[in-house]
Amino acid sequence: MPDAPPNALNLERLRNELRGILMTIFLVAIVTLVIFTIIWTTGRTRGTVIYIIPVVIAATRWGIGSALFAAICGVLTSAFFFFPPFYSFRIRDPQEVINLLLFIFVAIVVSQLATRLKRELELARQREINMRDLYAFSRRLAAAFDAAEIQAAVEDHLSTIMQRRVVLFPNVQTTKPQNRRHNGSAVPERVFAQIIEFATAQRTGEVTATGDNGEIWLVRPVSREGGEMHVIAIELGLGSLETVNEMRARIDSALADATATLERLGVAHAINEATMRSQTDRLREALIGSVSHELRTPLASILGAATVLSSAPALQDQTDLQALVRDVRGEAERLNGDIQNLLDATRISSDGIKPRIEWADPNDIVDSALERCGTRLNAHTLIRNMPSDLPLIHVDPVLVRQALVQIFDNAAKYSPPGSRITVAARARDGRMILSVSDEGAGLTVNEEQQIWERFARGERHAATTSGSGLGLWIANAFVAANGGKMNAVSDGPGTGTTMTIEIPVMQAAVPQLESDADE
Amino acid sequence: MSEPSPIVLVVDDEIQIRRFLRTGFELNGFVVHEAGTGAEAIRAATLRPIDLVIVDLGLPDMDGSEVVERIRSWSTVPIIVLSVRSTEAQKVRLLEIGADDYVVKPFGIAELLARVRVALRRQSRAASGEPTVTVGPLTIDLAARAVMLNGSRMTLTPKEYRLLQVLAQHAGNVVTHQHLLKEVWGSIHMQDTHYLRIFVRKLRQKIEPHPDSPKILITELGVGYRLAQSGTEIEPGVLSVPAPTSAKAEI
Repeated sequence: MPDAPPNALNLERLRNELRGILMTIFLVAIVTLVIFTIIWTTGRTRGTVIYIIPVVIAATRWGIGSALFAAICGVLTSAFFFFPPFYSFRIRDPQEVINLLLFIFVAIVVSQLATRLKRELELARQREINMRDLYAFSRRLAAAFDAAEIQAAVEDHLSTIMQRRVVLFPNVQTTKPQNRRHNGSAVPERVFAQIIEFATAQRTGEVTATGDNGEIWLVRPVSREGGEMHVIAIELGLGSLETVNEMRARIDSALADATATLERLGVAHAINEATMRSQTDRLREALIGSVSHELRTPLASILGAATVLSSAPALQDQTDLQALVRDVRGEAERLNGDIQNLLDATRISSDGIKPRIEWADPNDIVDSALERCGTRLNAHTLIRNMPSDLPLIHVDPVLVRQALVQIFDNAAKYSPPGSRITVAARARDGRMILSVSDEGAGLTVNEEQQIWERFARGERHAATTSGSGLGLWIANAFVAANGGKMNAVSDGPGTGTTMTIEIPVMQAAVPQLESDADE
Repeated sequence: MSEPSPIVLVVDDEIQIRRFLRTGFELNGFVVHEAGTGAEAIRAATLRPIDLVIVDLGLPDMDGSEVVERIRSWSTVPIIVLSVRSTEAQKVRLLEIGADDYVVKPFGIAELLARVRVALRRQSRAASGEPTVTVGPLTIDLAARAVMLNGSRMTLTPKEYRLLQVLAQHAGNVVTHQHLLKEVWGSIHMQDTHYLRIFVRKLRQKIEPHPDSPKILITELGVGYRLAQSGTEIEPGVLSVPAPTSAKAEI
């Protein structure tokens, strides 16, 4: 906390000084003992330069005061013990005077250097903390999904900067009394009244209000520049008006920095975007709901009625009418498929695929896909090349099935009737590869790239086959949602195509297969 | 069906759907009652003898699943749910609250009729206490706890038999993964679908003419398994693509 009372601060400093001086005396005493030892063991008399060591240590550790004290102590002690006349402080040797000057010089220089180093270290650490805060803040902004989350992030950010509780009211034009409580932090009623005054533009500048427990709140717009009007209320705590005034200046500069940051990070834009996103989401939900209901329901009647007609005894021997009914039914089924593709595409665009992952047997998925394809593959010869001991895969089997249906559909569409379609599976290097090969139109090098794009339609076939160009794009997205990838290989036009689905295989926790003891 | 015509209650707010269902069912010897709302349906189900209920999920006055729950609270009449948008999770929920089967709109009348016959047969078997279920070459005698394949008795492990037993009790209808896991392994294993996958694979090796393209123990992807309806012709040794009566789709 920056506002410890002045007395406490001085006392603290005094205590530090005192500790430095005591430690210095201790160091000088040790050095004196060391010099005595040197003199006695080697007989040399000139060891007093070692007193420079306490000076340097004191300068780096405890500041200039202790360092000067160490210098003086060193000179006095050496004068007393080691320079004639011994055991008196008088100095005859000019060497002593030079020593003293040298010690003082060293004390000043080293302590200056140490202080500067310490200050820079402190600054660097503070800067690092700020950077980390800012980074965390911007990451939170980026991850924020709606306006409320962004608002909470901004509040926390401002709270950290100012070390005070901050409540933010964005976009005050929409501030209503029921918004008084949000994020669990309530603002006292009197404070909120001030906020409303700002909101209705009856007031500018800043104002203080007293809360229910006598704490003081400062209410002001975040930015003095106008623009996006956000109002904040800052709880200043209990205190006199002087401390409040002192803090205003600090808050002003902190907020100036903060608004610059908020602007740089595009917070206002982000809030707007988040609001818009949630509206779009709702709109899309409604659209999907109504499309599937409004289009599918009549389609259900058409298809159902057509199937009843085709089995009606009255039509049994009318072959041309039977053909018409078959057309109605076939076209209704195709329309249904197109609607399904559109819905799937909408779902993918909104990142809305939530796979329901479970352990699945690849054979089951292929079976189910073939069943779904129904009559569409009747004109082709299907060859299954599926080993029966394939590993289980951990996927959403319904999504993988839908992808396979699209692939089968494609194979049937772009290969001549009577040709073979081969479905195969193999497990290798921790991956399961499902492949579908046809003997049809194949792909040009360009097409191999393009087929995965949305609304991609092969130019060579645009005139002869129908389709929305969504199928493979959907298949790819569904496979990707299961952590897999798709691939298409062809030796060139007319040589057939092989489409593969590649899915990672995890080791299933294999159950102990049968405990026959029970039962 | 030589017995008196079965009575079907059709619950759907779309008059066009009710009309084609009525025609379709009457052509196949059923008697049809109609209801346009959930309340009407519940009233009809209490007042009249009904053999089967077909209920749409999107009704104007209540959700179709509520109709299922209400009827289920006093009656065991077979219920088949129609729905225009349904995910596998929704299907599982419907089966859990007591629906016997579901059909996704749009559908062909033949597909619905097949499901209806399965449900009725199961009901009559339950009423008469008939103990055997036959699917192609496979006969399951629930009373004698015996399984015969092509007339000769086969040996299954206890868990394999239990799995087959649960499926046979619901022959023709889907049984959810959770239900099977609970019945065979106990409720603590209700999420362990891989147990089921491995056992079904082993069971198919024993009972299916072609384990790789099963015709008896059928997978309902993302929902569960069903034993093919009794009396189904299973041709031995033909590798063919099954051709359903209509394309199903779900959202």
